[in-house]
Amino acid sequence: MSASSGTLSASLRARGRLWQRLTDAVGRWPASVRVAAGVLVALVAAALLASIVAPLDNTAVDLDRVLEGPSAAHLMGTDEVGRDLLTRVLHGARISLTIAAAAALAAVAAGTLVGVLAGTLGGRIDAVLMRVTDVFASQNHFLFGVLLLVLFRPALGGAGAVMLAVGLTHWPSLARIVRGELMSLRERPFVAAAVGGGANRRRLVRRHYLPHLLPAVGLAFVLTVPHAIFHESAYSFLGLGLPAHQASLGNILADGQRSLLAGGWWIALFPGLAMLAAAMTTGTIAEYWREHLHPRWRSELEL
Amino acid sequence: MTALLEVEGLSVAFRTRRGVVQALSQASVAVQPGQLLLVVGESGSGKTVLAHTMLRLLPRNVDVSGSVRLGGQELLDLPPGVLRRLRGRRMALIPQSPASSLNPVRRLGGQLLEAAQARGLTKQQARTRLRELLDEVGLDLDVVGGRYVHQLSGGMQQRIVNAMALVGAPDVVIADEPTSGLDADLVDTTAAQLRAISARGAALVVITHDLRLAQRLGGRLALLYASRIVEVGPTAAFFAAPAHPYGRELLRALPEREGKSIPGMSPQLTALPGHCAFADRCPDRFDRCTQTVPDLYPLPGGGLARCFAHAER
Amino acid sequence: MLSAEAITKRFGGRSGAVVAVDRVSLTVERGARLGLVGPSGSGKSTLAQIIAMLLAPDSGVLTIDGDRVDTWGARCSRELRHRVQLVFQAPRIAVDPRLRIGDAILEPLAASGTLPSVADERGELLRTWATRVGLTADLLERFPHEVSEGQLQRACLARALVVRPRYLICDELSSMLDVSTQAALLETIAAVQDEQDLAVLLITHDRVLADTWCGQIADIRELSTRDQQCPPPLPSSPVSTRA
Repeated sequence: MSASSGTLSASLRARGRLWQRLTDAVGRWPASVRVAAGVLVALVAAALLASIVAPLDNTAVDLDRVLEGPSAAHLMGTDEVGRDLLTRVLHGARISLTIAAAAALAAVAAGTLVGVLAGTLGGRIDAVLMRVTDVFASQNHFLFGVLLLVLFRPALGGAGAVMLAVGLTHWPSLARIVRGELMSLRERPFVAAAVGGGANRRRLVRRHYLPHLLPAVGLAFVLTVPHAIFHESAYSFLGLGLPAHQASLGNILADGQRSLLAGGWWIALFPGLAMLAAAMTTGTIAEYWREHLHPRWRSELEL
Repeated sequence: MTALLEVEGLSVAFRTRRGVVQALSQASVAVQPGQLLLVVGESGSGKTVLAHTMLRLLPRNVDVSGSVRLGGQELLDLPPGVLRRLRGRRMALIPQSPASSLNPVRRLGGQLLEAAQARGLTKQQARTRLRELLDEVGLDLDVVGGRYVHQLSGGMQQRIVNAMALVGAPDVVIADEPTSGLDADLVDTTAAQLRAISARGAALVVITHDLRLAQRLGGRLALLYASRIVEVGPTAAFFAAPAHPYGRELLRALPEREGKSIPGMSPQLTALPGHCAFADRCPDRFDRCTQTVPDLYPLPGGGLARCFAHAER
Repeated sequence: MLSAEAITKRFGGRSGAVVAVDRVSLTVERGARLGLVGPSGSGKSTLAQIIAMLLAPDSGVLTIDGDRVDTWGARCSRELRHRVQLVFQAPRIAVDPRLRIGDAILEPLAASGTLPSVADERGELLRTWATRVGLTADLLERFPHEVSEGQLQRACLARALVVRPRYLICDELSSMLDVSTQAALLETIAAVQDEQDLAVLLITHDRVLADTWCGQIADIRELSTRDQQCPPPLPSSPVSTRA
């Protein structure tokens, strides 16, 4: 969008700049964030490429090797019908992450939409939207989610219902944040200057508000994904989420609970570790990001 | 006689993404007790950095070399604990916008007392001293103490912040842009208050880009351009006959003189030339000016000017 | 001619409504230089924002070249909007920190769809205005936090002038800047005035500046029609530029 001459050279320069900024940014990350990012990328990659990476077929049942602990052949052991747990965990992670990401995206999109509408339109619309937000926000996440699952699972299927449940329980906080940001943005003279230049509301939102909001929205997404993973796992664990044949980490955990009594501790442990890894890595990155977003709160002075 | 506050060969550079920003280069000034030093320059010339370095209020990404001495004691290598005790008691800062240095959600009385106690006074001493100081500028501690910051006018806020700086009876007071955003009538009042501070025997350093305030305050003036001091001397002499071409051109820009701007712009602090930084814009430049950086040469009136035109002396 | 009649604006407060602007009337002729002075808190900035159609008054009539202003803020018609432009006091908060300087200058044209579609033409337009306000081409690629206050204010002036307004309001244009930048900004404005018959309302607390640069001066406190039936017309002859 640079106004200098030559669109091709301008877009190339823009891409070059972007790459430069990315590499600069990564260079500045503290070690903990780089480790977290590395682990997360590896986890996501392994999960997404589960079909390729997994050592064995997901459904391969081997009744000779039922409930075996971790060994050379089966790094995470086998479950009660002899399936390789590592394979199951990888596939499960893929399903869990995908659903969690989609659910988080839904929540963030809904929250942003409501927040932007309330923040820019103001007046009665703002009041109504905020009351709706309050209603949703005051529900207990989990129980409300259970209610939604019970109501919508027949119609939407397991995955769809879980996305709806997580989405509808997690959008209010972002809506409030977005609205708050917008209300303070509107007071700034540069918005007045933009209006003075002839910008209408749509242009204000597109050109000025959204770019300012994107970091906060992105952060909210990253923070919601671990929540979504836990919710989905919990619902699936209870049998309310994904059906058993769509094995998510939560379903595997549920199996693990049963096998625990038979001495199969690994079936409960490894899916849990995977979830923990996902949550901790996204959490670390999100914390650093959040600190970075508000540099004015950091005191840089040598006091 | 040892100056109270002495800055020698001070250079400050910031390490930023865009490169090294040379904010100050080889600055040397001295202030005696009861003396007033004006540090004048445009935004980005290094004047704020000079003042902040005197108090060592600097961010982490700086490289500092040179010396800042208070009563002979070197400040730049003091441990933070000792430095904190110095600040407020022997050296005080009157920050740029008074409202933003006061806590908006507390009543003034509480925060003023607390700040005074932090400077080592007991509660009783703090109360007495504050009452005294506020009284001198026409404010009543009991009345003002119960108010919040936003309930007071800009002028009152400025007076309170001035009083706060004096609580610890500091030897050196540094005022950072004391008249930014103030009305013309308040500028006079502020100038009077500042002169009163100077009259108490403190050494007063005033950073400003407001030339009219500078003229009113008198004392001595140090003019900064692109991180260097380009002229030092009695303020009156500067306004009557500025020696450095930048100073001359700056005064010409005053609306009451010619209102003529200086063509071009100051050099970027990330890319200072290896010669006189003003040469590109100087109407009197000659060859030597684009070859090396001039030293500060003595002027007949007792000042110094960083200009080759004054080199033969 | 721009005419403001009996403009009043109140702001709600806990201790009751604060009257920021009390029945103020003002006229500005094309090509004139009117200085508006008054102590801080007397409503000069509020009046400026109302005249620039950014804020709706509680009562009063604003007429610009015969067209009465009925809608305010983002709903105002673009054509009308471009007739009056406002330059703010603190340039650093008057620009979107995420836009490059060059993009910020052309933003008003982009917003109203009048940006030249050919990239070369755009570049030319930008360079013309950048040169007029004294900005070098390399600064146009920078972000606001990478340039000085003076350079930012020059950019803000360019942004205001790029839409070829008929009336320019400067709200404490240079109180935060050094005198040379102030002089440079005023020189640019004077040059544009000559070419486009631009009227300038200079709000300032610097009496000396107002006296030397403006043809007429008004104190906002005396513009209130509270005690009068009709506002006395201000002397309205356009001033000749200083040599």
